[in-house]
Amino acid sequence: MPPKGKAAQKPKAGSSAAATKSPAATPAAPLSTKSTKATPDQQQPQSSTVAEKSKHNFTLCHPFEDLTGKNSLSALPTQADQLVWFASRLVTRLPVRSIGAKGQKDLWKTVNDHSLPPRGFNIRKHQKRQQQHKTADSRGRDIGEYSTKEWELRQEKRVTLSCLQLQSQRFRELRDRQKRGFVDSQTGDTVLVTDSEYLEEKQRRREMDRLKKELYGTQGMGRQGKLALDPEWDDVVPIVVEDPENALAAIAYSPDYAEAMSYLRAVMNSKEYSPRCLKLTEYIINLNPAHYTVWLFRAANIFALKLPILDEITWLNQIALENLKNYQIWHHRHLLVENYYPSISSDPAALSAFAASEREFLTQILAEDTKNYHVWSYRSWLVGKLGTWFNPEELKSTEDLIDQDVRNNSAWSHRFYLVFSDPENCTPGDKYAATEADPKVPGQIVDREVGYAEGKIRLAPQNQSGWNYLRGVLVKGGRELKSVQSFAEEFVMGLGEEGEGGEGEGTGEEVKSSHALDLLAEIYKEQGEKQKADLCLRRLVEKWDRIRGGYWQWRRDGLGLGEVAA
Amino acid sequence: MSTTTTTTSNKPSQPPSPPPPQSSQKAEEEENIEIVSDDNDSDFSSIDSEIPFTNPPSHPFPSNPIMIDSLFTTPPPILDPFPTQTSILQSETIDEVLPFLTAQSQQPDLFTYNDFGVPSLRREAHISFLRSSLGRLPGRFVAADASRPWFLYWCLSGLAMLGEDVREYRDAVRETARSMQNPTGGFGGGGGQLSHLATTYAVVLAIALVGGEETYEVIDRRGMWRWLGGLKQRDGGFEVCKGGEEDIRGAYCAAVIITLLDLPLDLTPDSPAYKPDDPSFNLLTGVADYVRRCQTYEGGISGQPSAEAHGAYAFCALGCLALLGHPAKVIPEYLNLPSLLSWLSSRQYAPEGGFSGRTNKLVDGCYSHWVGACFPLIEAALASSSSSSGSSQPAANDSLFSREGLIRYILCCCQDQGKRGGLRDKPSKMSDAYHTCYVLSGLSAGMHQWVLDEDGEGEGEPGWMVLPYLEGEQVFEGRDRVRAVHPVYVIPQGAVRGMKGYFRGKGGF
Ligand SMILES: [Zn+2]
Repeated sequence: MPPKGKAAQKPKAGSSAAATKSPAATPAAPLSTKSTKATPDQQQPQSSTVAEKSKHNFTLCHPFEDLTGKNSLSALPTQADQLVWFASRLVTRLPVRSIGAKGQKDLWKTVNDHSLPPRGFNIRKHQKRQQQHKTADSRGRDIGEYSTKEWELRQEKRVTLSCLQLQSQRFRELRDRQKRGFVDSQTGDTVLVTDSEYLEEKQRRREMDRLKKELYGTQGMGRQGKLALDPEWDDVVPIVVEDPENALAAIAYSPDYAEAMSYLRAVMNSKEYSPRCLKLTEYIINLNPAHYTVWLFRAANIFALKLPILDEITWLNQIALENLKNYQIWHHRHLLVENYYPSISSDPAALSAFAASEREFLTQILAEDTKNYHVWSYRSWLVGKLGTWFNPEELKSTEDLIDQDVRNNSAWSHRFYLVFSDPENCTPGDKYAATEADPKVPGQIVDREVGYAEGKIRLAPQNQSGWNYLRGVLVKGGRELKSVQSFAEEFVMGLGEEGEGGEGEGTGEEVKSSHALDLLAEIYKEQGEKQKADLCLRRLVEKWDRIRGGYWQWRRDGLGLGEVAA
Repeated sequence: MSTTTTTTSNKPSQPPSPPPPQSSQKAEEEENIEIVSDDNDSDFSSIDSEIPFTNPPSHPFPSNPIMIDSLFTTPPPILDPFPTQTSILQSETIDEVLPFLTAQSQQPDLFTYNDFGVPSLRREAHISFLRSSLGRLPGRFVAADASRPWFLYWCLSGLAMLGEDVREYRDAVRETARSMQNPTGGFGGGGGQLSHLATTYAVVLAIALVGGEETYEVIDRRGMWRWLGGLKQRDGGFEVCKGGEEDIRGAYCAAVIITLLDLPLDLTPDSPAYKPDDPSFNLLTGVADYVRRCQTYEGGISGQPSAEAHGAYAFCALGCLALLGHPAKVIPEYLNLPSLLSWLSSRQYAPEGGFSGRTNKLVDGCYSHWVGACFPLIEAALASSSSSSGSSQPAANDSLFSREGLIRYILCCCQDQGKRGGLRDKPSKMSDAYHTCYVLSGLSAGMHQWVLDEDGEGEGEPGWMVLPYLEGEQVFEGRDRVRAVHPVYVIPQGAVRGMKGYFRGKGGF
């Protein structure tokens, strides 16, 4: 701040006659006019801004310094003035010892005669400070332009801030004593920080933060993160990690995120599991839900604190709905269920209640995003974990989705898992690969699923989901593909035949499903009808599925018919 | 379905003079390949993809006859009259891409179409997009805070494929990698994050890409080996991080890390998979069987047993198996190859030409890699299986997928057309580093073919040899060829050799 205090000490310099006028305006005013002493106090009220006042005070102390730098020796009217001017330069700028005893004596005499300020006031420092203050206040306004009234207000804020800081310091000391188990010598009670004291401190810090921002802006001194303001985190020393200077793909983190991460590192480092850590993870997850480390740390906290898993699942549901594409959420849920399952595994009622509530939520989220891979992966894992393959509700909810969109392959895929991983109907474990027959699958299950698939294929014959399912069922059930030959032939008419007008081969044919042709080619091949198989494949190459021509051609090569004209 | 009138004959009868033979792509030349964890375009790719595109201006069809096979200009021959959400989205997508496929989207200052109606590769624009993605990212990228190593890999690999020399990033990769390495082994997404198989995979590949002994030495291999032991599970798979999920991504990433760094395979007693009674159970034991359990009834591969078949996991499965032994032996031993091939081939759609990630899902540029890059591995498996293993599967005489379709989709639909540069999922999505990398890798897969030397190149490793694919018509210009990448590691072959050779030469840690 301008040297209010310092300047105030020196106004007895009665010699500063020039101070009667604004110094800037009177560069060459007579300087030695001892007769025109003025009382500085009378002059001050004329200064309307802080900068003017500051200049004024300065001039009182430095009658020969023109802050504009325009004065010079030759501009001074008398030799006496020149001598004084010279002395003033020397006394403030030279190491006095360098001019010898006699010189010093003369110099000081001159100085004393004219009451010049001795070395105490460093001009350059002063000017530099003036320079800095140009940019000061938080709104970018030059503090020098403050009116004295405004200046006083600002000073008031600074005093308030100091008081708050003192109170805050007292709070920290009190809490420190509490930690160390201090006993109050007067009351004999253990020192205790009450909840309301905590709240007051929180409030106080917010106020301090507000004042700092008002006074100094958001840069430098004023920069205070949310966590640093929270008394709850006082004992944690955040671990700040700066990216190396030339780091690639470095992200310009928001101050809040950077601060939160530095606290996360600290508590992970010290392996702290506590409610405040849990809150911290929630805070970070809100800033960046794709952060696998924080999710794992959250799970560790929940398990260490033995918090109710169902509460966490409820909290997670909302996060999941807001972040449909996030997959860390689903692994978190997986960990929660792994942890929760042992507590309900021997209680069928609890188990089925949990399965039902999970299904309800999964139905809700799949309604938002019907093919979400992470959700479906979690769902199939959950069915295996809880053993709910046979649950009619589970199968039904899959059917509902297929009814809504017969092309929802995720729903088909889940159905396959439900039906063919049920230990009631299948060989448990992974003895048989998904593309192998399982002799334990009952015939009526195969019949039921074949019927289901055929019904859906008839709705949309070019829908590959249905055909893949059909084929998968036949393979798993150990059925020959030819058992669906006549079904597949429903979708292919007059293959390779000429049309009525005789426009050429194939113009009379009607194919409603290229997948039927694919299956028929395999069926004919199994039965040794290679020419028929080849015709199916050839028509796929030529017309019905040309983009996969290379593949169909490879299938033709596998028929062993030798060179075939394309 | 829209009817496009721009089509020409089924096969253009008068092919223009074929593009000049490619400046011969020497077999020693680098190639590369890459893979990752994305599903649904989840975390990485969606970061910046929400801005709607503007419809391409519809220009009158150019007067020169442009040769575009009607396959790529007309809706598919069979459409069910039974609309559902899936079919509506599918038909909207066709409407979205057709103008791009039929050369109607031209912005003459940016795109030059050749006689096949295929625009040129905007190489410089993509290079500058990738370079800026390596720079300082704005605060809204905070969601990528745990995937920064991916940016290193995507950008460096993409730049390498575009022909850039990425060695200039050596110092920066070294410093960045150091800041991500944990004292307990492995690399996390950044300072203070747990080590993760995906981020470690990405950092290791980034280091291999820039090369240099000093860079290789950043990797604490002993720590890495211990850390991997801690992730290994008794069922053969790997957790992606301590306490994280177990999936096929983890298995692939681990296999890549172990083989590139030439790590010992033994487990220490503190590994959850350590079997005191079976000392032969090591880091790679049971991995192939884990992969086998991920094949589904559809023939494709799921992320974990019992889930839905998905393109990204197909590549992980095949890549992982190809590292465990000779692909021709291992792949058919653990997977039902014909049904896998049928599923992979079904991923390619017309008229789009590109690949989708699952049955009845939409085309997306990144599957150019995840699905497209499976074909070299399948072809390698078939080529040898027919001759040696007595399998009944014929070798592939021609390409098993439509290279023309894939290249058309990439060059016509996946290139950002503005100043931004970069490649994308589809025209309605913004480009991002993830798609840029994988679309380019897919483009590379479409332009090259791989031959696997049965005897390997020594050290018991299969010797991959790359050639430009020159059969039939080439719809792209020679200058638009991108560099090949190794079919399993998805980085230039030279980068693979450099790193492997260095660590093998060390003998021990
Ligand atoms: Zn994508």
